[in-house]
Amino acid sequence: MNAWIYEKRRLLLGVAAVILFFLVWEVIFSGLVKLNPLFMSKPSLIWSGFMYDLKSGKVLFELMVSVRPFLFGFIAAVVVGIVVGTFMGWRQKVGYALDPLMTALYASPLVAVAPLVIIIFGVGVPGKTFLIFVLSVFPFIFNTYAGVKAVDQLLVNVVRSMGGNDKDIYFKVIVPSVLPYIIAGGRYAIGRALVGILVGEFYAASAGIGYMIAFYGDMYAIDRMFAYILIMMVIAVAFTEGIRWAERAAFPWRVGM
Amino acid sequence: MSSYISAENINLTFRPKNREAVTALSEFNIDIEQGQFVSIVGPSGCGKSTFLNVLLGLIPPNTGVMSVNGRTVTGPGTDRAMVFQEFGLLPWRTVAHNVELGLELQGVAKGPRRETCQGFIKMVGLTGFENHYPHELSGGMKQRVGLARALASDPDVLLMDEPFAALDAQTRDIMQAELLRIWHEAKKTVLFVTHQIEEAVYLSDHVIVMTKRPGRTKKLVPIDLPRPRDYEMRVSPRFNELKLEIWNELKDELSVGGDEDSGHA
Repeated sequence: MNAWIYEKRRLLLGVAAVILFFLVWEVIFSGLVKLNPLFMSKPSLIWSGFMYDLKSGKVLFELMVSVRPFLFGFIAAVVVGIVVGTFMGWRQKVGYALDPLMTALYASPLVAVAPLVIIIFGVGVPGKTFLIFVLSVFPFIFNTYAGVKAVDQLLVNVVRSMGGNDKDIYFKVIVPSVLPYIIAGGRYAIGRALVGILVGEFYAASAGIGYMIAFYGDMYAIDRMFAYILIMMVIAVAFTEGIRWAERAAFPWRVGM
Repeated sequence: MSSYISAENINLTFRPKNREAVTALSEFNIDIEQGQFVSIVGPSGCGKSTFLNVLLGLIPPNTGVMSVNGRTVTGPGTDRAMVFQEFGLLPWRTVAHNVELGLELQGVAKGPRRETCQGFIKMVGLTGFENHYPHELSGGMKQRVGLARALASDPDVLLMDEPFAALDAQTRDIMQAELLRIWHEAKKTVLFVTHQIEEAVYLSDHVIVMTKRPGRTKKLVPIDLPRPRDYEMRVSPRFNELKLEIWNELKDELSVGGDEDSGHA
């Protein structure tokens, strides 16, 4: 038993801290401080608000509204990011030309142009898709770029010296060396894509998780607002941890990831 | 000429963009008989590694003819295989899959491929490590994989580019003995590039001493020590005479050069 606790101490301590956080939150507003439900909420109220919307099917509906633009935008970011990053890595001139521009765009607060995006692309799926795409494409570009540049020339020579052709070099050396970089980029991109969906739905939408956060906030239904924020949080953690787990399963040769 | 590996008047000059041209090999000649173990020693940057890459078919010479068993080298071929100094193992492949690489590229089916490679994994003493990844192995074990991989495609010529340079001294001694054992077993012609005179004398039938860059053959020293060789031989008078002979040839080449090793492709 003690050995088991020791082995799992990382997970256990992490979970314990989360539980403690909610516990302290609950205790503070259950007598220590008077709770004004217009400005604050506490976990028990949030939970009942969440259960109410869950039972009515509202949570699932809003989720489905947000999922579509999320998938479209994210898949577009994966494809475009890999293609652009590969070109930047392969062709030195393309890399030199695009690096400063891409770095500037990556670092700039693109969220600020959200109203403009909505005006151009309209309310609904296209605008949200574009916003998510713009926010999540850069980690893919830069990680693919770094991955292609980091391909070990020695391994290319090894395959070539054993009679491998360009296709062999591509599939047996380049793809397996770049893939872990791309997946790692995906971890950052997920977080940014979730911000994209929130902001997109804040500015112009009539449904979706982000819209519901804004809507319940405007209605002073702070317990529901927090419920949707927590849904978002759980999704973010699930995705990030899911990718981390997939990385370990798919790339066992990567040391200390 | 009936020599097995022959280099005739090889000239090779690298002309990197916007940088000074470097002549790596100049009027380079070599003749090696089949089944011999030949080492090449020379100062850093003299073109030893470059020559191996020419022989491997990765770098075409500007002029001159490189041939193996009467056939002119025009590119990589399965009759030659290289063991690299930095191992060159694919990190995402297990030991077994790394050893199988050559046969896989030749299109050999999975079953026979696995079977063949199992034998070579055993030959280099790595049975039980088939499913390990390179990062789980020590330097010596990694180079055993490199050796098994080169042998697995059954080449006639084994090229070794300072294969033990990255290993510690004791592992190096063990690997030298292992290499001799495997060489007796596999009966390959070996071309072995090294910086270490002692290593060259211990392993070889002939030692080629190269001049400083641009590299030419300076002297061919026959090693008349009996085989099989053992560790005690390294302290015999004859062994030390040969070492001294090679050192005397080499030392004149070291005084001026000594710049960075730019021989790698």
